[in-house]
Amino acid sequence: MAGDDDILGTSARGARGRRGRTAAEGSVVASGPQSGAMLEVQDLRVRFQTDDGLVRAVDGVSFALDRGQTLGIVGESGSGKSVTSLAIMGLHRGGSTTIDGRIWLSGEELVGANPARVRELRGAKMAMIFQDPLSSLHPYFKVGDQIVEAYRIHHPKDSKRQARQRAIDMLGRVGIPQPAVRLDDYPHQFSGGMRQRVMIAMALVNDPELLIADEPTTALDVTVQAQILDLISSLQAEFGSAVIIITHDLGVVAELSDDILVMYAGRAAEYGPAVGVFNRPEHPYTWGLMASMPRMDRELTTRLVPIPGTPPSLIRVPPGCPFHPRCRYSGLVGERCKTEVPVLHEATAGHASACHLTAAQKAREWSELSAGNVRDEVRETVPQGEVEA
Amino acid sequence: MTSFIIRRLFAAVLLLILVSMVIFAIFFLLPKLGGQTNYGLATQYVGRNPTREAVLQMEDQLGLNKPVYQQYWDYLRAIVAGGYFGTGSNRVYCPPPCFGYSFKNQQPVWPQMVSDIPVTLSLAIGASVLWLVGGVTIGVISALKRGTIIDRLSMTIALFGVSLPIFFTGLIALELFSYRWPIFPNVQFVPFTENPYLWAKNLVLPWLVLAFLYAALYARLTRAGMLETMSEDYIRTARAKGLSERTVIFKHGLRSALTPILTIFGLDIGLLLGGAIITEYTFSLHGLGLFTIEAVQNQDFPEIMGVTMLATFFVIIANLVVDILYAVLDPRVRY
Amino acid sequence: MVVAACSSSSSSSTTSGTTPTSAGFNAATGSVVNASTAKGGTLTFDNSSGPDSTDAGNTYYAFNLNFTRLYATPLTTYSSSPGSAGLSVVPALATSLGVASDGNKTWTYHLKSGVTYEDGTPVTSADVKYAVERTFDRTVLPNGPSYFASLLAGNAATYKGPFKDKTGNATAIDTPDSSTIVFHLNQPFADFNYVVAFPQTAPVPQAKDTGANYQLHPLSTGPYMFQSYQLNKQYTLVPNPKWNPAWDPQVKQLASKVIVNLNVNADDIDNRLLAGDISVDQAGSGVQAAARARILSNPSLKNSSDNPVTGFMWFFYVNTQVAPLNNVHCREAVLFAANKNTLQTAYGGPYGGDIASTAIPPTVNGYSKFDLYNALSMPNGDVTSAKQQLQACGQPNGFNVNIAYRSDRPREVASATALQASLAAAGIHATLKGFPASSYYGTFAGVPTYVHTHSLGILTGGWGPDWPDAYGWGWALFDGKAIATAGNANIAEENNPVVNNLFNQLEQATTDSARVSISQQIDMQVMKDAVMLPAVYSKALLYRGSNLTNVNVNEYYGMYNYGILGLKS
Repeated sequence: MAGDDDILGTSARGARGRRGRTAAEGSVVASGPQSGAMLEVQDLRVRFQTDDGLVRAVDGVSFALDRGQTLGIVGESGSGKSVTSLAIMGLHRGGSTTIDGRIWLSGEELVGANPARVRELRGAKMAMIFQDPLSSLHPYFKVGDQIVEAYRIHHPKDSKRQARQRAIDMLGRVGIPQPAVRLDDYPHQFSGGMRQRVMIAMALVNDPELLIADEPTTALDVTVQAQILDLISSLQAEFGSAVIIITHDLGVVAELSDDILVMYAGRAAEYGPAVGVFNRPEHPYTWGLMASMPRMDRELTTRLVPIPGTPPSLIRVPPGCPFHPRCRYSGLVGERCKTEVPVLHEATAGHASACHLTAAQKAREWSELSAGNVRDEVRETVPQGEVEA
Repeated sequence: MTSFIIRRLFAAVLLLILVSMVIFAIFFLLPKLGGQTNYGLATQYVGRNPTREAVLQMEDQLGLNKPVYQQYWDYLRAIVAGGYFGTGSNRVYCPPPCFGYSFKNQQPVWPQMVSDIPVTLSLAIGASVLWLVGGVTIGVISALKRGTIIDRLSMTIALFGVSLPIFFTGLIALELFSYRWPIFPNVQFVPFTENPYLWAKNLVLPWLVLAFLYAALYARLTRAGMLETMSEDYIRTARAKGLSERTVIFKHGLRSALTPILTIFGLDIGLLLGGAIITEYTFSLHGLGLFTIEAVQNQDFPEIMGVTMLATFFVIIANLVVDILYAVLDPRVRY
Repeated sequence: MVVAACSSSSSSSTTSGTTPTSAGFNAATGSVVNASTAKGGTLTFDNSSGPDSTDAGNTYYAFNLNFTRLYATPLTTYSSSPGSAGLSVVPALATSLGVASDGNKTWTYHLKSGVTYEDGTPVTSADVKYAVERTFDRTVLPNGPSYFASLLAGNAATYKGPFKDKTGNATAIDTPDSSTIVFHLNQPFADFNYVVAFPQTAPVPQAKDTGANYQLHPLSTGPYMFQSYQLNKQYTLVPNPKWNPAWDPQVKQLASKVIVNLNVNADDIDNRLLAGDISVDQAGSGVQAAARARILSNPSLKNSSDNPVTGFMWFFYVNTQVAPLNNVHCREAVLFAANKNTLQTAYGGPYGGDIASTAIPPTVNGYSKFDLYNALSMPNGDVTSAKQQLQACGQPNGFNVNIAYRSDRPREVASATALQASLAAAGIHATLKGFPASSYYGTFAGVPTYVHTHSLGILTGGWGPDWPDAYGWGWALFDGKAIATAGNANIAEENNPVVNNLFNQLEQATTDSARVSISQQIDMQVMKDAVMLPAVYSKALLYRGSNLTNVNVNEYYGMYNYGILGLKS
């Protein structure tokens, strides 16, 4: 992931462009796909009506993705990352779910579309793999049958034998030895890593343009993790699909992503190219994630700094910035964090964050933090008045 | 698989022997603890005003004076190898399987039980088909339409079905459909081989009454099972593959939800084959259930023993079938 | 041309037979309802359990003594004439009632000529002798009465019956020729005609006797014969083509089929009876509580029912060995104190029975109406007299006593509870002890040692007469010789030499008037001994199926006479 500082470009739209696209200013909704990107999400809101109240699981998220590119969505449990991907796939059900905003897949609008049409696209143009392959595969059916089923629903004219052959091919592609034999095994007869390969094979059997991987390695051993990530990466190169990886593990996204979207409390906290987000993160939450992560390029004696507190309830989201109750730096901008919701904007070019701190403040604090100087409460050294827009 | 079956059959035989021992103990030892004598027991089978001689002879005839273990051994041996009963010109050979002679009417127990089996079988099979189909259908519909008026209504009716005893629903059914409006008059058992139409017509009321109880249970079970299954991850995967909702529900969902239901079904049938006592009593259908009641009322030990062994046998076989079925249906189960 | 009233399917009352007019409440008690000679139809009997055996030589249930006459013809039987004439025995298989000789110790009968079984084999006196002999083996045929074994002379005491004793025979029975049979008794027995009225004397061919299996198809000498028998389920009789009405004028061959369904739910039977689906409840003891309420409250149903005296009595034994009841005055206190009204209510109210004051019921020859304990004059109990008796027996403040009863019989539960309450008014404190009915006689109340050990002073009882005179009614209840170690029916353990002697005299008496007088003396003495607290002379509420003909309550059986029933055409 060599540093390519030129990340903001107004050209380079091709299907193979490795460019992230930044969100538009604020949350203005345009009338069509902003860019020519394959997948574009604009101001997505997903709300669930429950007995306890209205849950704002996703509250205004926007991003875009091209074929051949990888977006990593990072966040804690409850940040809304899975909900976002399920919204794209159209897998939310029930009358108590409301989805607002726009999602375009190859120019076709998905929010509010005919469910039958979305079902046609599911598994064909967009596919998803899940966290636990043991519970995600049907225990009663053979692995081959499940893959064949995924194929034949979208290729009804193909014969069984053709579908079976395709399944064998896919199993081979994902690295399962003796695929023709293992086709007739049941999921519980595979190891964890092999099962995830099977899931990947099943997801890719119809050559989708978009693959969403929701915590694909969380349930696997560390050694197997690396294999799976490599597999995804190489398949992406081979098929040319766009990939969204959802995880809470920064190490995973560091490996694969072109762009990173950091989500917190259903909103985007930070969105930008991976290099930028890793080297110069611009949101206190991201700083917290970085600081709490052990790194190979640091002294072993450097203290890990966890983020204090817990994620907020999505029914009663804190006013103003949702992160402010846990933020060490909110004192730097006075009461603003408590009252005013920060908008996702580009403090530096091509790299957006939702925070009231000025670019200068951000740069300074980050350099302090990454040098290992941890201050518990950042308030006293900065006079109240120094607020920059 | 075969070694599994063989092991289970072996265990079944052991269990039957154990059950027979327990019943023997209950019948012979417990009353002695309560002060009953062989003489007193024999008196019950010799009619009114018996002479002392008569009672003593009956004691002998019933074998009450042999030691308990001797009686038990004779009984077991007769089941496998047959035995002789009676004395003098009245001595008869009772071929295996010989479950003894009824104390009350001095007739062999096994043929009596065998002649009652068709009634219980007809009742059990007919009702079970009804309740399985009905209960599962309602359960699935309720689960899919969870929270709607259909769901609440059917679950409320199911609550009634589960709570109302059979002698209540049976009597209501008889009063309405047999006496008041003679749609099904004079319910009695007609063998299938004799007249299939009458066989079915006479069994409609008992089938419905029995099935109502179980269907309610199965509706609730299926609903719960479906709701749980439909929230499984692999259902989400099935949808993610783009399968039609119908395929997701029936091929992926119902298939999983039904497996435990089917195993319960097997057990329920096994129990029912031992005699649907209350239903048979309410509708005066002479099956194994009614046979059991009479045997107990008459304190007719060989009949009690015979029907209990038979019922136990059915339950054991049902358990075995269910276990095998489960292993067949769910590939994760190793045997 | 006037249109004549033709038989249309309208429910107009001009067509006969479609709208049954009921003859009125209790019409069949004392007269014959729907007398008819019409043939055809199927008589359906339902029974909540069943006969103790269909083998006529192996049965004791009252309804079965009634029913077996359809296929088994004993030497004598009860008359089918209505009213009290039904209490008399008349000849059946025999040409006339037995000829007594040797001081009532020898009885001779002649058989009618030409009588055959259903297969045409002629009936001989040897068959009657064999029929009686086979009942000696209580291991094969345990259920019937045991009078022959106890009354016959010769080797009767040791004879084991033809199944075990292949070469011997009952030496007390002679068959000088094929139509004569002579019984030699070990004591004078004037009532012997009653004894041979039991179906144990119905002939059985030895060559075709299958012992315990004979019940499956007894060979018929009556108007009907067995067509099929599914044990515990159903048996079917069809007309016996060989039967000649002259063989037994007391029974008829009218219906073309008789079906008996066994083990039918009792309430179900009542419902089917009321709905017209069946003809008769075979047990003949009356409808259950639910149907009873329906019938009594509905005038048209009530008009189709009968409320006869059944010949049974419900009462309490008062034991003479359990203190302080061993003193007669304490026993008398109990009889005075009892509230007869509440007892009657417990047994079903006025339709369930009449308040009783004697030890012998009205349908027994020798009944006389007397009331030593003011049961009729003070039906709520005579506490004053009770307390006087308590003084006399040395228990002025009352005493404790246990009342034993059959806990699975709701009426006995109610009556025991009622008695407990009424005794309390006199200061007698009673504790209730329930027992299961099936082993009541065998294990508890019928075992004197148990009664003594557990101080069961008062015990419920019910009884029907073996035949309608004081011996047939009361010997097993009151004669000291009848006390048995188990299965005892003389539960009060009455052993008064006066009473014992009277029973002997009864059987030596040669005239009816003498027998009646002796019976009255027995009754009086037993009541003076206060060993029985009479509750009610039992009555049953029977429902008369609307299609039945020749419906009449026979006073001995206490239910409809099953031998003469037919169906409307």
